[in-house]
Amino acid sequence: MSGVPYAMILAGGVGSRLCLLSEKRAKPAVPFGGKYRIIDFTLSNCVNSGIFDVGILTQYRPLSLRDHIGIGRAWDLDRKRGGVELLQPFQGWAENDWYRGTADAVWQNWHRVADRQAEHILVLSGDHVYRMDYRPMIEAHLERGADATVAITEVPIEQASQFGVVRTDASGWITGFLEKPKNPPSGRISMGVYVFRVAALLQELVKDDERNSAHDFGRDILPALVERGRVAAFLVPGYWQDIGTLDSFYQANLDLVSEDPPFPLEDPRWPIFTPSTEYPPARIGSGAHVRSSIVTHGTIVNGTVERSVLFPGAVVEEGAVVRDSIVMGETWIGPDAVLDRVILDKRVHVGRAATIGTGPSTPNRACPEHLSAGITIVGKETRVPEGITVGRNVRIAADLAEEDFPRDGLASGDVLER
Amino acid sequence: MLAGGKSERLHALGRMRTASALPFGGKYRIIDFTLSNCVHSGLYRIGVLTQYAPLSLQEHIGIGRAWDLDRRDGGIRLLPPYVRQRATNWYRGTADALVQNRNVIADAQARHILVVSGDLIYKMDYGSLIARHEARGSVLTVVTTPSPDDEAERYGIVDVDGTGRVRGVEVRRDGGPGTQVSASIYLFRGRDLLARLADPSLGPDLVADVIRPMIEEGLPVHADPFDGYWHDVTTIDSYYAASMDLLRPLPPINLNDPDWLVYTPSEDRAPSLLGGSADVVSSMIAHGTRIEGTVRRSILFPGVHVGAGAIVEDSIVMHDTRILRGARLHGAIIDKQVRIGERAEVGVGEPVRHREHPHDLGGGLCVIGKGAEVPTGAKVGRNTLVEIGVRERDYGRDGVPSGSTVRPRPAGAAR
Repeated sequence: MSGVPYAMILAGGVGSRLCLLSEKRAKPAVPFGGKYRIIDFTLSNCVNSGIFDVGILTQYRPLSLRDHIGIGRAWDLDRKRGGVELLQPFQGWAENDWYRGTADAVWQNWHRVADRQAEHILVLSGDHVYRMDYRPMIEAHLERGADATVAITEVPIEQASQFGVVRTDASGWITGFLEKPKNPPSGRISMGVYVFRVAALLQELVKDDERNSAHDFGRDILPALVERGRVAAFLVPGYWQDIGTLDSFYQANLDLVSEDPPFPLEDPRWPIFTPSTEYPPARIGSGAHVRSSIVTHGTIVNGTVERSVLFPGAVVEEGAVVRDSIVMGETWIGPDAVLDRVILDKRVHVGRAATIGTGPSTPNRACPEHLSAGITIVGKETRVPEGITVGRNVRIAADLAEEDFPRDGLASGDVLER
Repeated sequence: MLAGGKSERLHALGRMRTASALPFGGKYRIIDFTLSNCVHSGLYRIGVLTQYAPLSLQEHIGIGRAWDLDRRDGGIRLLPPYVRQRATNWYRGTADALVQNRNVIADAQARHILVVSGDLIYKMDYGSLIARHEARGSVLTVVTTPSPDDEAERYGIVDVDGTGRVRGVEVRRDGGPGTQVSASIYLFRGRDLLARLADPSLGPDLVADVIRPMIEEGLPVHADPFDGYWHDVTTIDSYYAASMDLLRPLPPINLNDPDWLVYTPSEDRAPSLLGGSADVVSSMIAHGTRIEGTVRRSILFPGVHVGAGAIVEDSIVMHDTRILRGARLHGAIIDKQVRIGERAEVGVGEPVRHREHPHDLGGGLCVIGKGAEVPTGAKVGRNTLVEIGVRERDYGRDGVPSGSTVRPRPAGAAR
């Protein structure tokens, strides 16, 4: 790769299938694994691969992401040459507007690519959890002289229809690129990790700009490049998880506390960087029972925690039980409260002896397609009243006060909005 | 900030680092408390006088980023002794360290100069101290505190008259717990301190040669009693006691107070992972720890692993130490990167005092130095010392009896 490798991370998605979690933040800024945000995995992959020149394309609710990234210090990306830059839509040039799609986001920021005079660039996605050294892929791309190289992972074929499925020939060239096909031919899917030859990408972006398309890498740019015949597949072994849905978010977190975690978060050879909080170490009280769980700095546990992930500053009071749950930062779980398969967003307050996640697993009334696995979710800064009972697959909006709750609680599948 | 002293009484814990750099409370170094006091009090011009084993401290402080002390004006500056054209000297004492940095102090043109120790645990707003000092028109304010233990002579007993004037600071042995002692926090009027530092006949010690003469000359030297938590950590017992204070249900120093956080450079460690067989109570657990065994009343620093069936009780375990399956620790202070072999037992047996250092190791604790190994199944008694870097081959057949020390054998020596 001539010049300094440059990576663009697509981080603008709305993430509507993540329900409440992405209501107030972009998907890559969704908290994950106790102290991280989802984008930390991609950013850490970059710097661990020696890539220190990164642009992040944002559009939807960028504030949380902007606070998180700051000047990039946590990743050693506060640099004189390169570093990290957030690329927001802007006005001022005739052709500039809101990003119409992922490809359009790159196209509107093409000046950044052109400035670097690089022959190849990396285009990554900010909402996947995986660990990958990009260098071998870049090397393979250069060796084959490809227009584009697409990182491929294998998923069970029944899941493949949610992703971009690829067909390859015997020598590893991609012959077909099917975005979210109804009947996937295989479980070989694109990881959303691409290396492009800049000249080839530019030609397709120019053409796509004129077209009435989705302006999307998966739907438009890659199929067009595949037509030209020089798109290579690069198979990447190991864990890869798209955090596209509430279920996948939940599962990926719970994977970390399973008997056989897919990868160690603590690995000195491949650290996952994130800005650290100033909290003291976790305090585990005299009556606590904590097992198969992740705890972080600033957590205080006096109750029972099993198969759960506690983010910084979460407090579990005496007699409270937290099971199979994800509890985000600065949340307070009052004495004798019981949580089962619950996702609490930041700064939620659960009153004494409240029960969340009980009863039948009736799918959610409003979004049965995203909330049917028995997970109840409570939005940011909501205060759950004392003694209340909340069923499963319930969605409780952010910023609610105690008096917003019905006295007799919420049945499975209910929705509570302001 | 005085951070250059050697703390002999910390033994293996204090040999490779000055007490200010000693790890404390699961993620901090001792000096973090004083540095955080400074920035919370609005003091952003800090010099740190270093001399003994400063590397650990230098690395920790860096450019002062963790405390917001990487500043254009002021910020933090490490002041080690240096070579000059005439008369190159190590610091001969606390006053001499200030004399040798007289130019730095003078350049600050500060109305007040605060001289504090970097090896104490307390939270104090120096801003209100300065306000009282100014209101009284003091040339020097000596902060006093009740002695936290029966070793008042370690701190210096402060005699105060009915008007709050200090009549003497003395090292004598008649002070029990509660005696008003010096908290090692001295606030000087800048020009008075500088004038004394300019005297070529000045002796090397701050208390004996600067403070005591000021009192004797009848200058306005006032005591400022501090009744908050204040703890010294320069002996094994005091370090252990201050650490265990953090594990009380209502700890005397609240590390979670959002208005007075103690700052420290954070490490890039993953969250703690408590496994299916973990049993942890009454403990502090830092990031990067992995626990499969039992942990009670203990402090685990980043990266500590506790294997299945292992038991850690009443202990302090520093960074990246591995406690393998079935090992047991009772009342142990384990430095960084130690390996405790499977089924080893540490802190067991009769609590006989340490033979060479009965005064420092009499409370039953076992201290294991950085990078040491404890062999599989070995028994390490109480009041014992396992020196830095001890290997399995350095142990005798019957482990480490209570009251004894294991040292590395010279290379090539036969057993």
